[in-house]
Amino acid sequence: MTAVAWLIPLLPLLGFIINGLGFPKLNKKVAAIIGCGSVLASFAIVCSLFLQSLQTPLNHRIDLYTWIAAGNYTVSFALLIDNLSVIMMMIVTGVGFLIHVYSIGYMKEDEGFGKFFAYLNLFIFFMLLLVMGASFVIMFIGWEGVGLCSYLLIGFWWKNREYSAAANKAFIMNRIGDLGFILAIFMMFAVFGSSDFDKVFPAASAFTTNDSIIIAITLLLFVGAIGKSAQLPLFTWLPDAMAGPTPVSALIHAATMVTAGVYMVARSNILYSIAPVTLAVITVLGTITALFAALIALTQNDIKKVLAYSTVSQLGFMFVALGTSSFDAGIFHVMTHAFFKALLFLGAGSVIHAMSGEQNIRHMGGLKKALPITSFTFLIGTLAISGIPPFAGFFSKDAILTASYFNSTIIFLLLILTSVLTAAYMFRLYFMVFWGDFRGTHHQEEHLHESPQSITIPLIVLALFAAIGGFFGLPEIFGNHNWIHHYLSPVFSQNTRIMAHADSVMIEWLLVAFSLVVIVPVMWLAYQRYALKTVKVTLSEEQLPFWYKLSLHKFYVDELYDYGIVKPLSALAGLFSVAVEKKMIDGTVNGLGSITLFLSSQLRKIQTGNTGFYVFAMVAGMVLMLLFALAKLNVF
Amino acid sequence: MMVLIILTAAGILAMFASVFNGRSVVLPVSLSGLFAAGYFALLEWNTNTTYFEAMRMDNFAIAFTVVCLFAAFVFLLLYHYMHYSSDVHYAEVISIILFSLAGVVVMVSFTSMLMLFLGIEILSLSLYILAGLKKKDLLSNEASLKYLLMGAFATGFLLFGIAMLYGATGSFMLSDIAYYLGLHKAVAEPFIVTGIIMLMIGLLFKVAAAPFHFWTPDVYQGAPTLVTGYMATVGKVAAFAALVRVFQLGFSPALETYQFLFAAVAVTTMFIGNITALYQKSVKRMLAYSSISHAGYMLIALMAANEVTNGAVLFYSIAYTLASLLAFAVVAILQQKSGSDEVSVFNGLSKSSPLMSITFAVAMLSLAGIPPTAGFFAKFYVFSAAISDGWVWITVLAIINSFISVYYYFAPVIASYMKKGNEEGIVLATPVKVLLAIIALLTLLIGLLPGSLSYLI
Repeated sequence: MTAVAWLIPLLPLLGFIINGLGFPKLNKKVAAIIGCGSVLASFAIVCSLFLQSLQTPLNHRIDLYTWIAAGNYTVSFALLIDNLSVIMMMIVTGVGFLIHVYSIGYMKEDEGFGKFFAYLNLFIFFMLLLVMGASFVIMFIGWEGVGLCSYLLIGFWWKNREYSAAANKAFIMNRIGDLGFILAIFMMFAVFGSSDFDKVFPAASAFTTNDSIIIAITLLLFVGAIGKSAQLPLFTWLPDAMAGPTPVSALIHAATMVTAGVYMVARSNILYSIAPVTLAVITVLGTITALFAALIALTQNDIKKVLAYSTVSQLGFMFVALGTSSFDAGIFHVMTHAFFKALLFLGAGSVIHAMSGEQNIRHMGGLKKALPITSFTFLIGTLAISGIPPFAGFFSKDAILTASYFNSTIIFLLLILTSVLTAAYMFRLYFMVFWGDFRGTHHQEEHLHESPQSITIPLIVLALFAAIGGFFGLPEIFGNHNWIHHYLSPVFSQNTRIMAHADSVMIEWLLVAFSLVVIVPVMWLAYQRYALKTVKVTLSEEQLPFWYKLSLHKFYVDELYDYGIVKPLSALAGLFSVAVEKKMIDGTVNGLGSITLFLSSQLRKIQTGNTGFYVFAMVAGMVLMLLFALAKLNVF
Repeated sequence: MMVLIILTAAGILAMFASVFNGRSVVLPVSLSGLFAAGYFALLEWNTNTTYFEAMRMDNFAIAFTVVCLFAAFVFLLLYHYMHYSSDVHYAEVISIILFSLAGVVVMVSFTSMLMLFLGIEILSLSLYILAGLKKKDLLSNEASLKYLLMGAFATGFLLFGIAMLYGATGSFMLSDIAYYLGLHKAVAEPFIVTGIIMLMIGLLFKVAAAPFHFWTPDVYQGAPTLVTGYMATVGKVAAFAALVRVFQLGFSPALETYQFLFAAVAVTTMFIGNITALYQKSVKRMLAYSSISHAGYMLIALMAANEVTNGAVLFYSIAYTLASLLAFAVVAILQQKSGSDEVSVFNGLSKSSPLMSITFAVAMLSLAGIPPTAGFFAKFYVFSAAISDGWVWITVLAIINSFISVYYYFAPVIASYMKKGNEEGIVLATPVKVLLAIIALLTLLIGLLPGSLSYLI
């Protein structure tokens, strides 16, 4: 099956081309079939690859063609099919397909329907390129491509100025990270002469631990990951990115694109293992991000913003896994997170759909009667993300917590705290939306309805995976076979840092007990507070305690960036635009232009049309050439 | 050899067909001739077959033959669809094209300087006639006569150079000359140096390098536009292949005696071509100067004379040929419609013919060397060939020239998209549409996947 692996990214690309060129003439039904069908076909191929990889681990490089050849540097357009890329492809095409199906129902009324599917397909193409590329350069193409699609889709309803501003913000913040990534690639070319995985990693193994070059490369790569995966300090674009249609938030800003940073670090695990300093940075940053975002999520009132901050927080967990060298746990959490976060977002979409576009949870309440399927699947998602056994999130988070326990007690405790907060804000969200009394307008209440099948079926499928997905990575104490650990071990086996999996039985049981002893009371508290008591529809700022305001205003990070970076920069830009741009640069450029044009007006005069002059010029040229050549030989 | 026979036979058949009222079979005969020639040329890939110690069908020769056959194919189709009913000399034109291709094959595959001379003359004579195709048009007559006159002069230089080299080395064979030059370290002999320079001038004239370029604007402007396109592609590419071949196979041991001359000519050519192009109102004349400047860029690759030269020149030729074919095709169509070749005929083209305006834009982007078109990588390979030999200053000058060229390449593109004009739709024959689209797509495709082409030869 690896022989046709190139079809996997190609099919969504074809879907994009057909839908893109066909828009707006193609009718919606055809556009939907092409959009979903192309991803489904890719998913089928990926599935067969997956089955193959279960028998024997794959490690297959497909060189499609030489993309760029310049001197000693060649960049081959090559794909890498190994267990890590296969599992990522499963997530991208599988969850991607479900979200495509969901979009049929969600975007049904939108006039940009065909365009939306074209963009989604393009996104899948680039995302597949990102995870399938066999070198950092190919990965970078995908990396930039998904950034572009993210920009296009956040600003999909571009007529709303705020939405296009959000799209710009996402694009620009990602650009900061991308600069790190591309500098890292340049360094790799300079140091290793290539960016191919199979050249860079073996060559890097020759470096000593904490070699400054490797530290620089890994840090720069991580800067890229910070931007793409919305870690501190570049996380503020992700909540704003919720301006995009909800399927986009589910696909790009929860399940796939934002985990690209995690994938990239896991892919480069050999580099990172040589740079424990960078790993420590990742661990600390991941922990702070996880805690920080969870604190903000506690008080947000926009249903999608809560989920967005929760995504940032969960991404922090994944980075802690990477930082503590348990790469398989990181990827495992990517997978389970893709299930339950896509589920939660799609559920949120279903709610927003039913509420005629309302996103403020203070205006919702009691929706479980009108939306039984959405409510039930949302509950499963909430249980999964809160880490209640046996739902998916418990096992993946458990693996990360175990890893952090062996790394540092402080990190471990902070993550435990974050887990408690996660359960708190998720159950707050769940109870506020689905329990209690309805707090919206009368008009909204009349229109409440369960969503159509194209929306509920993806919800049910994802809920199933969110419920059982954890069994892919069952800790040793439960089944004595941690499947995902063994599945990914070929990719991470060369890594010397990974500890022999010292599963401590005590820690595992402690965590199970913990989740029952601490998280269940938190659930109870949330139930008391948000389901039984009446929730206030509007908050009056003055009465709020200080910490609540801090969280509600997202710790004023946006304001801080605005005053600390954006305003001074635009003042500087204004200065440059007047002093440097207009006077110096424009002056020089225009001056050069006029000189060239003047030369042109003079030069054309020698084209007289007179043959005699032409012959004279030829002879003069000949004489000059002979003189120079013979003078060089010292003939005279 | 089969290639030559097929092309000549197809030419003769095409010519006779019109005598016997078989105008309708001319195109099928000539096109199948082109395809058969291409097929037989490709059959000899990697064989290095030598004919009579005078020609050798090596990969270099085959690649350039195929490029020129493709250009001729495009020319024939466009010519057919634009002039089939209007031109009395329809069949003659096509047969002359086929004969000229015979000259091209000789020019790119010679191993003896006599064959070089023969090939150049076969091609040039055909072009002299084609330039004067519009018998009643004064400019066309002027073009033909000027071209003949100046061409005769250049041929004189060429023959003189061959004679001197023969006198010095006793052979017409390139391999013998190279052997002699290498053995005797005879690069210092004035005889040889003079011979090399004379021959160089003869060929520089054909590729329209300064200061031997003065014929180009007049001839390109006067000749019928499609013919100009043919001259600017096949004529120039074949002459360039000949130039590369004679210097690589014959004179490379004497590199230091002529390298700096190529450098000087390249710089002069680029500047004269690009700067003069800025002030042109006629798109056709602008393209003439642009073709002069491209000779300058290609000379840089030749001057660098290292292992990537051949690949770089071939790549450049392909990119340049595709873009020029597109550009001249669009100008020819517009000129036939409106009778003018000024920039203003492009006004509103994006409305009246979106296909033509987009393909023309692709052509201009490629000629200006902007990614992701083929023209970008063409320049990239030429510049990297120069830089790997340490010629940084000349690369800097070439890049400055690329900047300048953007100004005039974009003028018609801006006109077609930004200015209002006649919005009446322009109807094109379907094959012409397909042809334009395919060439534009090829230009983009090569720009996206340049890797494999650059290592072809």
